[in-house]
Amino acid sequence: MRGGDDLLAMGDGALASLARGEAEVVISDTRSELTRFAGNEIHQSVAERFRHVRVRLIDGGRTGVGEVRGHDGRAIERAFAAAEDSRRVTTESAVSPLPAPSPGESDEPVAFAEATAATMPQGRAELVAIITDAAGAHGINAYGALSTSTTTTAIVTSAGLRRSATSTQASLVSVARGDDGGGYASRHSPDIDALDVPGLAAEVVDTCERNQGATAIGPGDYEVILSPYAVTDMLEHLAWGGFSALAVQEHRSFMRIGEKLMSDRITIRDDARTHEIFAFPFDDEGVSTRPVTLIDRGVCSAVVYDTPTALHDGVTSTGHSLPQPNTWGPLPRHVAMDAGSTPWQEMVGSVSRGLYITRFWYVRDVHPLRTVITGMTREGTFLIENGSITRPVRDLRFTQSIVEALANVIQVSRERRLELGEGESGVLSPWLHIGRFSFTS
Amino acid sequence: MRDLSERALDAASAAGASYADCRVINSTVQRLTVKNGVVASVELFEDEGIGIRVIADGSWGFAGADDLGPASIEETARHAVTIAKASSRVNRTPVRMAPAPALVGEYRTLVVRDPFAVSLDDKVDLLMRTDEAMSHLAQIRVRECSLEFVREIRHFASSEGARLDQTIIESGGGMDATATSDDEVQTRSFPNSFGRHQVCAGWEAIEAFDLPGNAGRIAEEAVALLTAAQCPAGTMTVILDATQAALQVHESCGHPTELDRVLGHEAAYAGTSFLTPDLLGTFRYGSEQVTITADSTSAPGLGTFGWDDEGVAAQRSVLVDRGLFTGYLSSRETAAAIGQVSNGCMRADGWSRLPIIRMTNINLEPGTSSLEEMIATTEHGVYLETNRSWSIDDRRLNFQFGTQNGWEIVDGKRVRLVRNPIYSGQTPEFWGSCDAVAAPAEWQMFGVVNCGKGQPSQLMHVGHGAAPCRFQNVRVEPAR
Ligand SMILES: [Zn+2]
Repeated sequence: MRGGDDLLAMGDGALASLARGEAEVVISDTRSELTRFAGNEIHQSVAERFRHVRVRLIDGGRTGVGEVRGHDGRAIERAFAAAEDSRRVTTESAVSPLPAPSPGESDEPVAFAEATAATMPQGRAELVAIITDAAGAHGINAYGALSTSTTTTAIVTSAGLRRSATSTQASLVSVARGDDGGGYASRHSPDIDALDVPGLAAEVVDTCERNQGATAIGPGDYEVILSPYAVTDMLEHLAWGGFSALAVQEHRSFMRIGEKLMSDRITIRDDARTHEIFAFPFDDEGVSTRPVTLIDRGVCSAVVYDTPTALHDGVTSTGHSLPQPNTWGPLPRHVAMDAGSTPWQEMVGSVSRGLYITRFWYVRDVHPLRTVITGMTREGTFLIENGSITRPVRDLRFTQSIVEALANVIQVSRERRLELGEGESGVLSPWLHIGRFSFTS
Repeated sequence: MRDLSERALDAASAAGASYADCRVINSTVQRLTVKNGVVASVELFEDEGIGIRVIADGSWGFAGADDLGPASIEETARHAVTIAKASSRVNRTPVRMAPAPALVGEYRTLVVRDPFAVSLDDKVDLLMRTDEAMSHLAQIRVRECSLEFVREIRHFASSEGARLDQTIIESGGGMDATATSDDEVQTRSFPNSFGRHQVCAGWEAIEAFDLPGNAGRIAEEAVALLTAAQCPAGTMTVILDATQAALQVHESCGHPTELDRVLGHEAAYAGTSFLTPDLLGTFRYGSEQVTITADSTSAPGLGTFGWDDEGVAAQRSVLVDRGLFTGYLSSRETAAAIGQVSNGCMRADGWSRLPIIRMTNINLEPGTSSLEEMIATTEHGVYLETNRSWSIDDRRLNFQFGTQNGWEIVDGKRVRLVRNPIYSGQTPEFWGSCDAVAAPAEWQMFGVVNCGKGQPSQLMHVGHGAAPCRFQNVRVEPAR
């Protein structure tokens, strides 16, 4: 399923009948399937396919938007009609212009794997069975989901922009539970054949078995090793609330460009060309997504832009737009933290007393400007004593400023792992050794 | 719609399904946003498709498609059966569903004025007047207000003979005013935070919110918070306003009584529950003051309908009866696992998603007190208004919530506004310390429009009737 040309042709046809004004037509075809398991059995397995059409009309200084999900021949026509109804009632000053095309720009790289696009329910069931069999052999239960999706997106505009790309994603998450505790592991890739399913099964079973019979430990400040699953949650919150030009313009971002707020071990980038973070060539306005160094050795370096925020600051868009117009602002969706030099197991060896955190759960902003978040630890919280993990401890609630935590980083691991945050964008994170992290209950 | 569903059911049974149901859904959404004096967006969205659920070889399969042509419907039904058969090769236990009568009928949300008959111009005008009323203070850096209207036409048919048609209408709206200074950002919202307040009703509900009439006050409160004292820290009395009480019910009673969580169906994602079946009928969840019901007949809550998405009739059931844990939210399959019948809580986020157990209207039943009386009889505490942050563990025991606004209470009087309040606790101890719930006069129905659950993720609109209520010995502190 790589029908980008067909969708482009449909978009061209729709623009040809545009009587006046300007228009952007985005057409996407999605096929996604997901197999979910619980108690070592598949309890939910689903598939969906649909076409989504979005039309943005600009005329007389007003912008309107119409969206239709539905496959019938009149979907584009209906989207145009809705966009015109919408355009008529908006105000003139709200217009953000359509971006100009940049001739010669490539619609590569894009993360696509034929194996993912061709996956059938039987194939997913067999991969799930690797995990449920491994769990069953250890007398524990596995839970989780394996999903595959293929999306073709085409954007054409009356300004001459014309782009399309087909991408795939395969994602496997699992929790294993014994009588008194659980473990977690995940793997994600554009290519389902590249998912290390036996590795995931071994990891989730191992964490689960080590995390039985946890005992309570008091709240307070602890030295911590955060696994990449936990680090991803922190980076995602910075992306939502801080790395956006609109957040800076509205004075709600922690970012103070040029100031050093974090440890010089910390460099955070957004790079949509990275294959493993689901490389994709352009944003929702069809603008090429440029790599941006957000935090450079601890210094606030740059934020990401879409067309409206770029116009406001007199710069060019970095290609991080969500569908326009919107009130959320731009968003980096291919975030990675640079790796360090220490093997992560050695990081544990350097802690005399602290906690190893497998993952966080239900992380929410408490004070966005100060990047204070709260959440729980989940499925694998361990006490580290004299350089080794000694016993599992009960889950704790933390309330902690992300920026302060990243200012207190002692070591960054050599290895990194891709995890999907709650917003389902991929984030490539290392293990972090942090000097102080605050647990409140 | 009937032709489509008959074709789907026939194709599923021809492919080997022992049970099949399908939902054909046509929905229309209007979403209007005004930000800082301009119409930021008017989004008009139409959606149509079919979702087909089957049991074959003892396992479930589900497939959805937006192409309603005959060939597509038949292929989608066959694909659902293929999925079920693939799962059955891993599974040992065949699906068992509790019996339910096959019903036939029609239901429509009661509306006084169809919101889709009100012009977009009138809607924009209301938002512009609201925005204008928030614009008088320089410290307000971001003003945003919005309206949303939903019409969903649903047809349900099952191989057991159910044939149900429903038209659900929702109307919602709200505003946020954000004030900033050099070192602080504070937002106030009305009638509820996170975008809007929404109900199953018509335009009359939006008029009753009186957004323009409340906008000036909300902006002033946001500015006042910039320089308000930090919330005091300590163990004290907490009084929640009705909106925060609604969220507390949602997180600490609604989710843990979902029977699929209890049975482990959500263990890898949303989590499990501390309310295990051995506790049913014996566990003290809260004090005598606390009665919580699931009621899909309590209009205009967002969980109000004629039948759920597996054809079970709307009903009221008691989850917590004067403090005692007495019931779950269930489906036909999960109810069978504990020897009961479904109480009608299966709901899907549109045609493309599988129905799963969701809240309907989860209501904290009114008591006999009043906000005024609760404040007057409080020695030291805080009165907390409008949710700002929420987090709870995967078994729904350890929670921490923050609100936009707080009032410190000393010797029966509100003495000062405080900012950044958070409170935390353990679910049964917290509800066990509840010593007052306000009477019906202060009881209101709220909507939560962003309840996430399931994989792939589904967002559900659920209702919560609640009134101000009071709790003792709660840990309170400022968000640092
Ligand atoms: Zn929820």
